[in-house]
Amino acid sequence: MKKTGYLHDSMYLLHDTGPYHPEMADRLTAIYKGIEKAGLLDQLTLIPAIRADIKWIETVHTSEYIRRFEEVCLSGNRTFDYPDNQMCTDTYETAFLAAGGVLDVCRRVMTGEIDNAFCAVRPPGHHAEQNEAMGFCYLNNVAIATRYLQMEHGIKRVGVVDFDVHHGNGTQHIFEKDPTVFYYSIHQHPSFTFPGTGREFEKGEDEGQGYTLNSVVLPGQGDDVYQKMIQRDLLPAFERFKPEIILVSTGFDGHMDDDMSDVNLTTKGYSWIMETIVKLGGLYAKGRVISVLEGGYCLDRLGELAENHVRILLNG
Amino acid sequence: MFVSQSMVSKVITIDKDASVFEAQEKMASNGIRHLPIVNSEDILIGIITDRDIRSTMPYRLIKETGSAKEREKLAGLKVKDIMTQDPQTIDLTYTIQDALLMIQKKKVGAFPVVDDNGKLKGILSIRDLLRAFINVLGIGEPGTLVGIEVTERVGQLKKIVDAVTEENISLGSVLVARTWDEGKRAVFPYLLTNNVVRIKKKLSDLGYKLIDPMKWSLDRIPKKP
Ligand SMILES: [Zn+2]
Repeated sequence: MKKTGYLHDSMYLLHDTGPYHPEMADRLTAIYKGIEKAGLLDQLTLIPAIRADIKWIETVHTSEYIRRFEEVCLSGNRTFDYPDNQMCTDTYETAFLAAGGVLDVCRRVMTGEIDNAFCAVRPPGHHAEQNEAMGFCYLNNVAIATRYLQMEHGIKRVGVVDFDVHHGNGTQHIFEKDPTVFYYSIHQHPSFTFPGTGREFEKGEDEGQGYTLNSVVLPGQGDDVYQKMIQRDLLPAFERFKPEIILVSTGFDGHMDDDMSDVNLTTKGYSWIMETIVKLGGLYAKGRVISVLEGGYCLDRLGELAENHVRILLNG
Repeated sequence: MFVSQSMVSKVITIDKDASVFEAQEKMASNGIRHLPIVNSEDILIGIITDRDIRSTMPYRLIKETGSAKEREKLAGLKVKDIMTQDPQTIDLTYTIQDALLMIQKKKVGAFPVVDDNGKLKGILSIRDLLRAFINVLGIGEPGTLVGIEVTERVGQLKKIVDAVTEENISLGSVLVARTWDEGKRAVFPYLLTNNVVRIKKKLSDLGYKLIDPMKWSLDRIPKKP
């Protein structure tokens, strides 16, 4: 059995999005309860939150943006950049704790303390652009972790797999000119859902051409289409790229019971996706797979989805 | 919405006595497909397109099989020999809608834009129109499209817009498909949000039918009941 880290901290509940917002603190509670109920807590290495050093945040976001985020947040504003991005005065700190927790997990994986991990953080990150908050995201946790791994641990090739049902516009744009980061995303077709990017013809720019890949899923489709596309697109891409570590933007919002999308993944379908990614991690990345939570809003399903997710990491 | 706001004003032109090779070179290096020709008073006298050039000298002819004599003849070919004289133009006061309908009717890729005296003021291509329409669709901004079936009755659209406003959601655009089932229309608001769960529920509660995304269409053949 693998040594699997589970980044979990009640501080992540402090980011308050107000009433009726789908990206709520209860999501993390549902995830914790699911893992606890399955009796998996003893087998996991629990990792607490830790604040990120701003120098790592600045490898992705502009100083101007970080300052603006802090000012808007502390001034008591309820939204930032778009009305979607509901926040409270703790949001800025919580975002730093989310990014910092993920960095600490990266460090532990690189030093061999743990083999792989699931980071159950809030706020999520994959929509956050260099200079703009978007789609409930403020700091791009996965992008910051990517830069940290490259600069602090000498990783040359980072593979990012994003299976949140929405396209990770932020992550794609941050790395689209960079051939050292392969960004693969599978999501609902952008003409039918937020944010409207991640078209099949977006394949990277300049030097980074060929290092971005998007698989688009039409409304109503489910497990079999995901399997077909991942086999057709992701597997050959990673065989060529051979990532030294895999970061996963994990979104459970493609589940058939999740109202945020029109695609119909089942709980089993989600397991297949994660098993496939963990296999890729074993093939190319010495098993180093770090999963970071993005979306997933169906509280009734998050428990079982998270349980299966960490079980697959444990069995890695 | 006049074409003057969407056209390219710095037009790249070519002299009528330039060689066709030169015209070809100019198009390639500027990434364009149309070169208007003006006289010394800036009056439009013709236009040459990459299609005109291709049909005059097929690639094969120049590069491989063409004889020296043929090539010489082609090299001597001037813009004025193959340009379209008095091409279809549009006025500065034309609207985007005029231009769109004209392009569909005349099957051309671009129109020179002229003033009352026939002076060249700009050029408007399909590419420029597309840019304008991507802008009105709002799809350059992050958002979610929703499809709603409404009966053709006064005030339906207002109710939808009110519901969206109550949810504090900004509208990127609203498209209306005019041909739908008899007595019905399809309305597609583009909502600048990731959070459409509540507005969808609200619209359902108001009695609207949300259309299955796989059946969305902007111009479908109406179905008689
Ligand atoms: Zn999502």
